Order: sequence, then structure tokens, then C-alpha cells
Amino acid sequence: MRSKYRLGIDAGGTFTDFVLAEQAGGNRLYKALSTPADPTIAIRNGLSLIAEDLDVPLDEIIPNCDLCINGTTVGLNALIQHKGARTGLICTAGHEDSIEIRNGHKEDGYRYDADYPPAVMLVPRNLRKGVRERVLSNGEVRTPLTEDDVRAACEHFLKEGVESVAISFVWSVLHPEHERRAGEIVREMMPDAILTLGSTLYPQVREYTRTSTAVTNAYLAPTLKKYVGAVDAYFRSLGAKHPVRYFQSNGGLAIGEAMTDRSVYAINSGPASAPLAGLHVSAPFDETNVITIDMGGTSFDITLTHEGVTNLNKNIDFLRYRIGVPMIQVETLGAGGGSIGWIDEMGLLQVGPQSAGSDPGPACYGQGGTEPTTTDVNLVLGYLNPDGLVGGRLPLDPEKAETAIRTKVAEPLGISLEKAAYGMFTIVNANMVNGIRRVSIERGYDPRDFVLVCAGGATGAHITALAREMGITRIIVPKLASGLCAFGQIISDVKYNYMATCPVRLDNEDAYRRVNTLFRDLEAEGQAHLKADGFGDDQIRIKRSLDMRYVGQVHECTVEVDNFEIGAETVERLKDAFHRRHEQLYTYAEPNNTVEIVNIESTLYGLVAKPGDKALAKGGNVDTSLKGTRQAIFSADGKRRRVPVHDGARLGAGDVVTGPAIIEETTTTIVIEPGWRAELHESESYVVTRG
Amino acid sequence: MDRTEATRTVDPITLSVVRGILETTQREMTLSLEKTARSSVFNLAHDYSTALFNAEPEMILQGQDIPIHLGSLIPAMKVVAGYFEGDINEGDLILHNDPAYGGSHAIDVCIYKPVFYHGELVYWTVCKGHLTDIGGPVPAGYNPDAKEIYAECLRIPPVKIWDRGKPRRDVLNMILTNMRARRDQEGDFNALIGACQVGERALIRMLDKYAKEEVDACIGELLNMAERQMRSLIAEVPDGTYEGVAVLEDAGHGFGDFDIKATVTIEGDDCRIAISSPPQVPYFINSYEGNSYSGVYLGLMMFAQLPPPYNEGLYRCVSVDMGPKGTLCNAREPAPHMNCTTTPMETLTDAVRLAFEKAMPSKVAASWGHANGLNIAGWDKRHDEEYVTMVLATIISGAGATPQQDGWHACGPECCFGALTSGDIELLEHSYPIIIHKYSLMTDSGGAGLHRGGSGTAWEVEPLDGDMTFIMFGEGRRIPALGAAGATSTMIDTKVGRLELKRDGNTETIRNNTIGVIKPGETVTNMNPGGGGYGDPKKRPVDKVVQDVKLGLVSIKGAREDYGVVIADAETLKVDLDATRKLRAA
Repeated sequence: MRSKYRLGIDAGGTFTDFVLAEQAGGNRLYKALSTPADPTIAIRNGLSLIAEDLDVPLDEIIPNCDLCINGTTVGLNALIQHKGARTGLICTAGHEDSIEIRNGHKEDGYRYDADYPPAVMLVPRNLRKGVRERVLSNGEVRTPLTEDDVRAACEHFLKEGVESVAISFVWSVLHPEHERRAGEIVREMMPDAILTLGSTLYPQVREYTRTSTAVTNAYLAPTLKKYVGAVDAYFRSLGAKHPVRYFQSNGGLAIGEAMTDRSVYAINSGPASAPLAGLHVSAPFDETNVITIDMGGTSFDITLTHEGVTNLNKNIDFLRYRIGVPMIQVETLGAGGGSIGWIDEMGLLQVGPQSAGSDPGPACYGQGGTEPTTTDVNLVLGYLNPDGLVGGRLPLDPEKAETAIRTKVAEPLGISLEKAAYGMFTIVNANMVNGIRRVSIERGYDPRDFVLVCAGGATGAHITALAREMGITRIIVPKLASGLCAFGQIISDVKYNYMATCPVRLDNEDAYRRVNTLFRDLEAEGQAHLKADGFGDDQIRIKRSLDMRYVGQVHECTVEVDNFEIGAETVERLKDAFHRRHEQLYTYAEPNNTVEIVNIESTLYGLVAKPGDKALAKGGNVDTSLKGTRQAIFSADGKRRRVPVHDGARLGAGDVVTGPAIIEETTTTIVIEPGWRAELHESESYVVTRG
Repeated sequence: MDRTEATRTVDPITLSVVRGILETTQREMTLSLEKTARSSVFNLAHDYSTALFNAEPEMILQGQDIPIHLGSLIPAMKVVAGYFEGDINEGDLILHNDPAYGGSHAIDVCIYKPVFYHGELVYWTVCKGHLTDIGGPVPAGYNPDAKEIYAECLRIPPVKIWDRGKPRRDVLNMILTNMRARRDQEGDFNALIGACQVGERALIRMLDKYAKEEVDACIGELLNMAERQMRSLIAEVPDGTYEGVAVLEDAGHGFGDFDIKATVTIEGDDCRIAISSPPQVPYFINSYEGNSYSGVYLGLMMFAQLPPPYNEGLYRCVSVDMGPKGTLCNAREPAPHMNCTTTPMETLTDAVRLAFEKAMPSKVAASWGHANGLNIAGWDKRHDEEYVTMVLATIISGAGATPQQDGWHACGPECCFGALTSGDIELLEHSYPIIIHKYSLMTDSGGAGLHRGGSGTAWEVEPLDGDMTFIMFGEGRRIPALGAAGATSTMIDTKVGRLELKRDGNTETIRNNTIGVIKPGETVTNMNPGGGGYGDPKKRPVDKVVQDVKLGLVSIKGAREDYGVVIADAETLKVDLDATRKLRAA
């Protein structure tokens, strides 16, 4: 029997979103308050909502799902709150301190403030044990592993109550045997401990990055293991036919076991499904260049996909810890609905990154908040319905919003309330624009070549203003915007990254052979892994990329390439791709200089069938959707003008709303500035364009 | 006081937007430089800086890069623009390194790009970076034997390397022909030029969107705001004259220790800083005036602790007198100078900091460990090519403790204030034929105090398969980083910089700047000082001292000698409270 549903569960900071897709088409969105202390409670609560709504018991819904998918923040929260496991590190003697030396820098450039604290160590110095062993940069063993040192470290760890162990040796990427042997000893002596090997988790050059990644993984693994165990057991008890799939920061799915071994892949998974969702909703319009922006209560997340390929980050500082493994590049700003406007020491108006959160929340929530937030601004500007958000379930108080903006911004700056509100709106948008530059211009892309996809509940009020600022002419706003990340997860494939380090200059046959062999080996391993998980040959896809640079450079650019055998002729295709990318990024290329490869990577996808789409019924008379008018502000002069307000639920496919106008959906409000028009498409998205 | 209350003439909203664009522009330049550079000093160590200037030229944004570069960019830019006055054209690129033209040290090479909009000079984008070599008799530029600047490097006064959009291949070739590891130097020139172009692209985009008059007004206001901020801070300091004297130790020249004195005079919201230093010496520690500005401004900012953005407005209320020409901090040709960005700079910074500490004792943090490092050079048999580089990992010292907290470990040196990075050891071993046996924190290296100074680092190296030349520079091998608010250390030997050479089973400790050669099987370990402590070490809570012992940051001996904490049992770290009380009362 073909399954009827697919379920996506995405835990966010405030809400956990549930998307139930019917295989025949059509999505339902549910929201339950997140319960960070025990996230399984939110899952139970959300599932109850679904059962209630469908009037079908859960043990009939879950067995009827072909897949249940979960995006979790347990890893992220453990890292933020430093509540991971008691972790020990075994490393090459002499290099015990690399995670504390951190290459000798503060991540924030130079700062003079005297209370800027160092990062909290995930493994304290007394639990970092050096052992005598050494591999050289050419892969030769200089000093064999001293096994007694490993045993001594284990004894120390046992005494200290260590639950999780990371092993990371210098140049283990070129000779992993020492780490493997040390791992065997640890398994023998500490059978209960979880073990992470640097050369397995992140087999790429850079000792600090690899060690830090391994340590972070070890630190989070027990937390993930416990969580995955609880969720898997719960779904089994409900009769799930397949194991739960977990969403990873690399933008793909993984089974629970992989999530435990590779817990570091879980840390920023929340916003990582946005690009896929963005691509999906853009597909009916043949758009493959997509910037997806997601504004929630406290943050604003930006991702970019160019010609169907999403920007990835490797080797970055995430929450002050260096992480090597590829993660979808998510630029996160403190610019959400709760972000606070304030006057800084220089007398400049700023918005965020401080947030009023959900408690007390924006002033207009009437829960005691007195600081002016972005939500207050959108209310004063006339964008939000004073009767309340979420269909009136969250009432708003315009007077409190006005007072906050007047006393904290307008009066100190000596400008009118309206100008102050529009000013905050402009600044929060400018922050977002600078963030969008970081994923586009800094990566060599012109944002004007992209469509902007609107995700998250709070984005709709800013979307036309942002597009205007960036020179973007086409926007897509799905009706499902506020649950778009959960939706992205249910249309994702299984995805694993396989990496190897391969420092060779691209000017000889030996090098080509080495690269070809490595790719083949990685891919054979990945295919075996996916086949064991039930994927057939026709469901497996492979994408290759190489980190390349000019000889003498030390930072690489990642270049995506097709799968072909590298040889004396085809190598030119690799080099050309690299020169082009270098020029795109840095304004110049050096076509006469030697190019070298540093790392290679194969990404293996296990393709998962997608739920069907259902076309929206045709509309006809836009006037029937009119629910009233509001006085709204669209310019720096603070002048108000009367604009129509439409009920999105009463618009049909083909209906056009011309700006200035406001469209209210149940979970989001879309502001159409003057000069823009929104057409509702049968794929349940508004296409907003100039003119 | 009218100036501090100046009324705004610009739209406050556009002002915030312009500020954001300038910061983003600088960030894009910095990223571009880091990713494309060849020299490990650039790309691994972040030893480069970027800045934006207006047409004046006033520095309108100082990047959050290496502080020691940026102060000197202010005078250097003015000298360079003045040199080519009347002959600055669209498509020009100017290169310069000479300290006598406002540069820092000659191995820091600077590229200046005038940015034109509709035919009018509107801005300058500027990048400065530390190359791996700059010609001269000794690889990597640092020559402790040089008696004159001519024996150090290739001097490059302002020259156009591009003229109206056309590269001057002859000039570039002349310069590169004089440098070792030419491919790397050429790559770094490209990286500097690329970053200037990245900045230009972003600034032009800004002018496409906002009217130039409006942007100019905003930039003017940003400069005024920085000025107001500094003035209001200076106004809080009681009027008077304050002196700070720091000792620059003799690290091998044989002329003895020198005093560097800073006299800070506060009058209302104006600040005058006068520097007095001994006559220049025929040794590579002289600082030309441009470079000395960086040291003075850094000492000022260690006191001011203002948040970014930084621009030239900060210094409008500050006048500096570097002392007579021909002195250590105001050198004149032909003084050798290559070590000047660390020595005497950090001592000069300390002198300024000490003067401000007298003026406002509660606000000022302790000194950071001074740079005491290595350059290495040799032949790389793997690729049959020469290698040469400064090893930034050898100057990573501990940060000073502050009134609020312990100092950061491994964050210095003082002149870079945490903006420098040391590079991954595997990347260094990939780039150069060396084995890095150790890169670690050092026990008992952080200055004792109520708040402990950060730990310094040890870096041990052995050549892989051939001779390796090492060249020492810096100081801080006898005098530890200065504490603040009464912090002093008893155990000094572990807190100062030094080099240990291991050869034939013997260990030799070297404290003078020396050039040497080691072979495979021999190692040198460069040890970098920790930061100064803050407050009385006898008042540091006992449990914190015990925790430091547990973490190996302080030894049992150090706990007793530096902190008066007596640990009775090395295994359990149990404290003898009676003995501790007595020792702390003594």
C-alpha cells in the first residue's frame, strides 16, 4: 500500500513546526510551543494537534507516513549552553593546546573592551592528553604510536568520569592508522564512552580545525544519542514503518545512528532546509538562482543557491568553535521581529542584535515590554493588523508600540514618531541587506541575478523593501512561508559528505591518478553505505567538488565539477573552472600559474520521492478578498496613505494585487509597496514583481 | 564644549546606513586579501590591514585589523597623496613601503588606489600587508646586524605600479627582481591590488545609490562623532600632566637598556602626548615617525577602550610630539628599523598606557606580552625552491589581565591586540620543510595578579631535511609584561621570552637577537611571554589558584611564590590553609 502522508517536524527557538504532506498533494501546517528542556514533549504535543485536526488516532497516521523527518536543535542548545558531555581529547604530544590557542586570535578582530571573554573550553586542559606519536607532512611515520600513553590517558579519563573521547593526531589525514589503533585501545578500556576520530569525521588538512571539529562532535554526541534514542523509540511505539530521518546542517537527511556518530552535522540544521524549499517553490517559474530569507522572532537567516547549487561553509567559527565539516552557509543576523531599536554610544540609531524575545516580547504584545522592536515598527507603519497576528490569536496594542518608539527613538533623535518608525524599518532592512551581501557579493554573486524567496512569519512585511534595496525584481512568497523550513525537510534527500585530503599540484599524471582513485574509493564507500540503507543504484546521485588554489596560497576556493576521469586534457576543465571562480570572487585570475588541489569531496545523495503538488483553484474577482483599509507609511517623510487590505485565503490562482496593498495570510502578512504587484500562482505562491 | 554638542545636519537614518556600507566594504576587502594572498604572514596570520580614506585624505574607516599598521596609515596616506598631488588619475595604483615616507617597516607593503566617480577623485582604498621578503642581505628583512636601512631592504618611495589603468611592468619587475621567493611576492601584490579593487567596487555601488553630497555629509558626521566620543572621554580625565616610563631592554645591541617616556597632558577635552626617547642607534629597533603614531594610538586606545567604528576623528583632540628627529621613536635616515613594529613599539605603547594608568588607575588594563619571535629560511628540496617567512606562531604571547577578567591566553603580541593569527601547523608544515614538535601554552607564564595574565606560548621546530636559518627579533626576555593596579610576579624566568636551542643533547638558552643555523635532529623552541596581571596576586581567590594548578597553567611552586598559596598534596591539590594565610600576610 502506498503511504498516505509524509511528516516534517522542525524545532525552532519559539515554535516547533509540523508539516503534514499528503502524497497526493496539499500540506497542513501546525505549530506547538518548543520545549527545549525536553524537545520530545513538543513533538508529542504537535502530533496530538494533528490527530485532533484529522480526527484520526496517531497510531494510524504515523504508520501511514513514508517518512518522518525531524530537524532538531538539541545539539545547538547543548553547544550554546555548554551542556554537552564530559569529554576528553587524545592528541599528539606537544599539541594539547591547539583548541585553546585557537591559532592565536580573537575571532572578532581586535577589540579593546576589557570584558570580552575568551571562549569556554569544551575540553578543559587537564582532560587533553598528549601521546607520543608523529606523522610528517609527507605521510611518513616519524614516531610510532606509544600505546602505553593512550592507556594512561584512558585511565585518567576513567578517573575523571569522561563519557566521550575525541582522538585527533597531527597529519592523521595522511596516515589514519595511529588514530584507529588508539581508538581500539579506548574502546577496550572505555567500552561505554562514545568515540570520535578526527580522521574519520573530517579527513581534511588543518590540525586545529580537525581537532576542534572532533572535540565538538564528541562533546555533543551523547546528547544526540540520547535524543535520537528517545525519538526513534517513540515513533516505533506509534508503529512507524521506517526509522526517523534527521535533518543535518549540510542540507540533507541522515538516520539516527549517523546523527550520533556525526553529531556535529546537527548543530545548525534548522535554517539549512530553507534553500531546498526556496528552490522548490521557485521551480514552477524556472528559477534556479534563489536567495531565501527567513525572519523569525529573534533572528534573520539568509541562504543562497546559485544555478541550483547552495553555498556551503567549511572551516568556520560557529558559536566561537571552529567547525570544518560542510554546512549550508547560513548568514544569521540579530534582526527579527523582536529586535530592539536603540541609540548607541556614538549617538547612532541601531536595531538589534538584542531581542525582546517572546518574553516580554515587543511592546505591542502588552506583556510588559517597553523597548521598541521591529514588530512595533511594523504595527506603527500600518503593516500589521492591530486586531492581532495569527488570525487574531495574538492581539497587538498600537499605543504601547507608539510610546516605545516615541520615547526611545523619536525624542532622543528629535524626529517625529512616523519618521522614527520608518527609520528603524530602514535600518533593520539595511542590516539585512548587508547580510545578503555577505552570502552574495562576498561569494562573487550579483544579487540582482536572483529571486528572493520569503520564509518565516515576519519576513513578509519587509520583503518588497528588501528587494527594492538590493535591486532584485522578482520575489516569491509561498502561502506556507512561516513553515517553509519544515516543508524543506520533507522534500530533502538523504545526504552524506565524503572527504579526503589530497595535496597535489595539477601538473603531472601521478597527481591525476591519485585524485581519480581517491574519488572512486570515497564514492564506493558512500554507495555501499546508501545501499545498506535501502537505496538502489538509480536512486543514488554523486556530486564532486575540489578545494583548489594557486601554489603558494593557503586558502582554497571550492569548485564544483562534473564526474569525469581527470587526465592531461580534461584537467584543463578543472583549471578553467578554478580560474573563473577565482576571478568571480577576487576580481582577478592568474591563468599562467600552477594550480593545486588540497581537498576533495564527494557528496552522495540517496534520492527520496517527493510528495505531489496540488494546484490552487482559479480566482477571478480580487475585490471579494478585500477586507478593509489601513493607513500605512511607505516613505522616509513619514506620510500615511490609505491602502487596501486583502484576505489571502479568499484569493485564487491568477488573482493580482497591485501595490500599495497588504495581503494577510493566517501566519504571515505581506506588504506590497507602491510600484510592485503580486500575482497568486496555482503552486500556492505569490509572485511579486516590479510594475 | 560646543563641539561635543554639535547639532546634526544629516539624516540619522542615512547615517546609520552609510556606516554599515563602509564597514561591509572594509570587511569585503579584508576577506579578499586573506583568501588570495601567498605569504603565510598574510593568509594564515592576518598580518595585513585595510582602510578607507576620503579625498582629503582623512581615514574614514580603520579596519578591525592590526592596530600597529593603522595608526601609521594616517600619515602615510597624506604623504603619498601629497607626493603625487596634481598627478592622481583614474586607474592609478600606488605602491610604497618606505618608513621615511610615513610607512611602518619596509616589509609592510602598501597599495593605494584612488577611487574615481564620474571623473572625480572621491575615495582611496588602501591595503597594507607584511610580505615574506623585501630584498636586502637577510631573508625576511630582519637583519640584526644592519647598521643602516640600506642594509635591510629594498626601499620603495611612492611609485605608480599602474598608470591610468595600465600596469607598469617595468617598475613591478624592477621591484620583484630584488626580492626572494618572487612568485609569492607577486601573488601578494595581486592580492593587495585585488582587495583595493573589491573596495572600489563597493564604494562605487554606494555612490550609485546615494547622492555624493549626502554620503559626504554622513562621513563628515561619522568623523565628528568619533571626535565627540574621544573628547567626552578625555574630559572625564582630571586635568594635569601624567608621565609613564617604560624600559626597553637591551636585546643584543650592547647599548644598554633605554627609557621611553610618554608625558600626557590633559586640558579639558584636549590631550597632548609628548614622547621622549634616547638618540637612535645603529640597530634595527629605530622607529620612524609614522610608525610611532601607531604605538601612541594603541596606548591611547588601550586606555580609551572605545567600541568601533574607528576613524581619524578619534585623534582630532590628540596632538602628538614624537620628540626631536634622530631619536629612537622619531628616527631619521639612515636609521635601521626593521624590528620597529614590535620593538620599540610595544615599549612606547606601554609608556603611553602607564601615563594613562596614572591618570585613571581604575580603567587601564595590564600590558600584553611583547613580540619575541623568529623568521626562518632555507631551501625546500621538495619543490627545489627557496623558502623564507616570518613565523607568526612564534610571537603569540599572552594578553594582559583587565579590571574585569583574566587575560586571554595566546592572543598577543601587544602590537596586534588579538587580530593576528598564527596559522595552522599542518599548513605551515605543508608550506615549509619543517616539523613543529610543539605549539602549546606555558606553565607559569601569565603574570601574577588578582586577575592572572594570559599564558604565553612555546613553539618548537626542527628542519625536515636540510639546514634552516633562524633569525631572532624582539625583546621581553628579561623584563616581563607589566602588570597593572599593583600586580607583580615573583617568578620571572618563566614569564619572559627566550629561545632554547637543543643540539647534541645540550640545551642552550638564548636571550639576545641572534642569527643561527640548525640541522635536522636539532631544534629551537621559541618561548613567548605571558601577559601582565591585574591587582594584588595575594588577593586572588585560593580556589582560582588551585584551578589554575589543576589546569597546568600555574605550577605548585608558582602557586606558592607568585600567589602565596601553599598546596600540600600534589595529587589531590589540597591546600595548607594555615601556611597560606601566613604566607599571604607576610
